[in-house]
Amino acid sequence: MRKVRLLLGKDLRILGRSPVLVAALVVYPLVFAALVGAVVRYASDRPTIAFVDLDHLPETLTVGGQSFNVPAVLDQVNESAELVPMEEEEADRKLANGEVDAEIVVPRGFASRLRGMVESPQLIVKTARGGVATRVEQQTQALVYELNQRLQDAYIKANLEYVHLIVEGGTGTFLGNEFDVVGLQRAGEMLAEIERTTKDPAVADRAHELSNFVRQASLALGASDESLRATANPIELEVDTGAGRSWLLSAQLQAYALALTLAFICVLLAAAAIAAERDENVIGRLARGLVGLTDLVVVKVALAVLVAVALGLVIALVFGIFSAVFDVTGGEPWARLPLLAVGLVAAGAAFGAFGVLIGVVAREARTAVLVAFLVALPLVLLGLLPAGTVEAARLISKAFPFSHAVDFFQSALYDNDPWGTLAREAAWLVGLAVAFGAAARLGMRRLLA
Amino acid sequence: MVLALRRVGRPSLSPCQGRRTLTQPLLSAQGVSRRYGRIVALAPTSLEVQPGDALALIGPNGAGKSTLLSIFAGALDPSDGSVTAAPVDHRGPKVGWVPQRPAHYQRLSPRENLELFARLEGVPGANELADRFIGLLDLPDDGRLTAELSAGNQQRLNLAVALLAPPDVLLLDEPTASLDPRQRRLLWEVAAQVRERGGAVVFATQNFEELERFATRVAVLVGGELVFEGTLGEFKAAPEADVFA
Repeated sequence: MRKVRLLLGKDLRILGRSPVLVAALVVYPLVFAALVGAVVRYASDRPTIAFVDLDHLPETLTVGGQSFNVPAVLDQVNESAELVPMEEEEADRKLANGEVDAEIVVPRGFASRLRGMVESPQLIVKTARGGVATRVEQQTQALVYELNQRLQDAYIKANLEYVHLIVEGGTGTFLGNEFDVVGLQRAGEMLAEIERTTKDPAVADRAHELSNFVRQASLALGASDESLRATANPIELEVDTGAGRSWLLSAQLQAYALALTLAFICVLLAAAAIAAERDENVIGRLARGLVGLTDLVVVKVALAVLVAVALGLVIALVFGIFSAVFDVTGGEPWARLPLLAVGLVAAGAAFGAFGVLIGVVAREARTAVLVAFLVALPLVLLGLLPAGTVEAARLISKAFPFSHAVDFFQSALYDNDPWGTLAREAAWLVGLAVAFGAAARLGMRRLLA
Repeated sequence: MVLALRRVGRPSLSPCQGRRTLTQPLLSAQGVSRRYGRIVALAPTSLEVQPGDALALIGPNGAGKSTLLSIFAGALDPSDGSVTAAPVDHRGPKVGWVPQRPAHYQRLSPRENLELFARLEGVPGANELADRFIGLLDLPDDGRLTAELSAGNQQRLNLAVALLAPPDVLLLDEPTASLDPRQRRLLWEVAAQVRERGGAVVFATQNFEELERFATRVAVLVGGELVFEGTLGEFKAAPEADVFA
């Protein structure tokens, strides 16, 4: 153990003598994490959708007496999806080659059906198979929901005008035909008049009966305003966009920032550190009985762990300070630091052992760094794919520490009851550390040749 | 120069004087070989290192000299065969290894290297040892990193690291290639002291002048095979055709 400490101290001293490298190692993953986080958020929030307007919608569309500014409506939709107007042929081609995530087609006759308010006009949505298709469908459903909500008011208003016409009477139009309606109020007055003036008691009784029905119908239809609105929106959703964290301080981004930083720094550092022992021709001297090869693997994994804990806590500190400064609620950035530290140790060990394995295989420091980067990048990207997109990617990423580290950090920092997730992900990370470490130890003799 | 060495004090260089009671070889290689895939770097070779030996390994580049020294040093596992060591003071002989390419950390200073390796060797007084070897081998101690030193300084540091734990056998792989005449003289004085105290020196060289001046025995390797082994007198008497056949 004393020798492990001595070599670890040597590695830290050498690392500290390369401040530019240390700065680059810290800044690069953070910038990368922010970019990836932004891309992930952007990709999940704003799919690019081709908008094909075969009906040539007018700038202003009047439905049920209510006018809609079509470009303004589309601008509002742009907050959740990027609508790009284009011709149908171009849209089909771009959907086929993946330049757009989906295609919304406004068919001919859409506006006239909408104005008619009798049958529901249809929008056509085309999506690719697999990938983000499910997400785009959800986005499109949300888009149609939003449009429907705006149209509901017009529809309800139009329906209420008919109700008012039935209650109060007057002149109305339906499918372009104008007609006069007596109205329930006028009908009630007429029935009261008949009941009062008739000499025939049977007629008076029937008029009285009808008069009661008209009164009840008037009362019932009088309440139709609220009931129609309630039928349209059994549950109303009130959206308060200021209640949650800014995405820059979100649990997702913080967990990604931590895991990405560790994935790259620990893997690259451990790979370079073990290969450097051979580059400096020292491995032979050490292996002559000064330090066991297992101890050498332990030293490099321990180096990765120390760096992981230091950097991870700095990142958590930065997030915590920003959360405090901006008075962000919803997390316990300080109370959860000990839990986070446990995750940093486990993740650092797993990433470090993976890096040592790469260094042992590559044998030379420069090659090891390049190989480590080339191997870590796709494995990290696999871990970034949303669940349910590509099942094979999810399975492959399970054999790499990144996705486990993300889940651990997210749970450690923000879950109310994190213990189950923490235990499972910690077991994965420790298991991967042991497996990669054992594989690296088996290959250590390669460094002596 | 010897007086000067004694003046700065090097008790660490005389650990085995008068203590060895056995006469068996300090190191004995039995049928050791080393292959890299299909390439045979060293064919099965048997060679002994006796107390007091100054055994020179000679041969053209790629003959297997460095491979044999690395196997003697324990830095490289033989593909076949084994190396046995005679006990010295109820322990295996300490082997100091000076590889052809310096084996120390470039991003540490010479002092830091010496202190680190002394501690790894378990030698007490790492700081004092570093002081002694910096003075003894005239190593820079101005905080510069080893990477910034000349090839000669790096080679002397390489030697110093090998001498930290007083060696019973000193293995030198073309050690004088980067040294100036004064440093070479110093190196051979150190090697002589190891032998005088009951140890042995094995050195690979291409320099026949050094061989004639310092070797007591000679082993010739050609193409990974040991083609000659004998005393310096036998080597000099042997027809060149016989030695390098």
